[in-house]
Amino acid sequence: METEYDQVLHSVAQVKIADQTGVNQDEDGVKVSCFTEVLDDVTLHFQIIRLAKQIYVWIGYNSAKFGNLYAAASTRPSNTVSVATVLGGTSDNTGSGIAHRLVMKTGLNIIMACNIPKNNPLLEAKAEKMLMRKLIDLGYTMPTPLRAT
Amino acid sequence: MESVDSNFPVRHRKFSLEIKGNKTEIVICSYEDHILVIATQIGAMGTILHARKEEGMSVEPTFSVSVIFGKRDEPMLIATARRLIDHISSFVPSKPLVLSLGLKDHSSETLKEIVAAVIENRLW
Repeated sequence: METEYDQVLHSVAQVKIADQTGVNQDEDGVKVSCFTEVLDDVTLHFQIIRLAKQIYVWIGYNSAKFGNLYAAASTRPSNTVSVATVLGGTSDNTGSGIAHRLVMKTGLNIIMACNIPKNNPLLEAKAEKMLMRKLIDLGYTMPTPLRAT
Repeated sequence: MESVDSNFPVRHRKFSLEIKGNKTEIVICSYEDHILVIATQIGAMGTILHARKEEGMSVEPTFSVSVIFGKRDEPMLIATARRLIDHISSFVPSKPLVLSLGLKDHSSETLKEIVAAVIENRLW
């Protein structure tokens, strides 16, 4: 029987990215998007700052604390994704998984700050899904994203 | 340009200026326990530094500044972070600074202008 966690994971995997043609790379300037979602009794804040070649994301769990900072990008030659913990955090970091999957799905170069507590994979998956949706809606995803093998 | 969403817990301010012919975008964000400053000319975050005021016993404040991502051989970037955390800590002593500098040149004139612009538009 599928647990709720598995269901959310499946739906995250199914968030498809349509090929984008004519992505406007000429749009100059930095764009900041902020939004908040409430889930059950948890408030998640999202901040997305789009730079020309990189995206900075902050996920706030119930507060405006900065959290741990991660950098993730695809690395040549095999297009695998590497994640580095840049600030804070221990080895079982909540945000590094999200950063990893974001880069895999979107092909973007990501810097992510996240203060979601550990041992909460369901919340992690939901936050990731919301963020993915928003990134797609804003049109920030690359035309040919990396696929998970 | 200040953030318009009064319900969002993080305030931010975004503006752009020209320094030595290079368009420089600056974003300042104020979190509960950190200040984030992004200054970019290259469209990416570039080198990321972390700076904080040390709890100390002496009268003179001491600061810990380090590069956490990117170029570690540019003392001018560290000096810039030091200058900014000095300013921040006189207003909000407990907030460390995360400074991201993605610049085409690391000359002192450029960095001075960035510091001046950030202080002028500060959120602390």
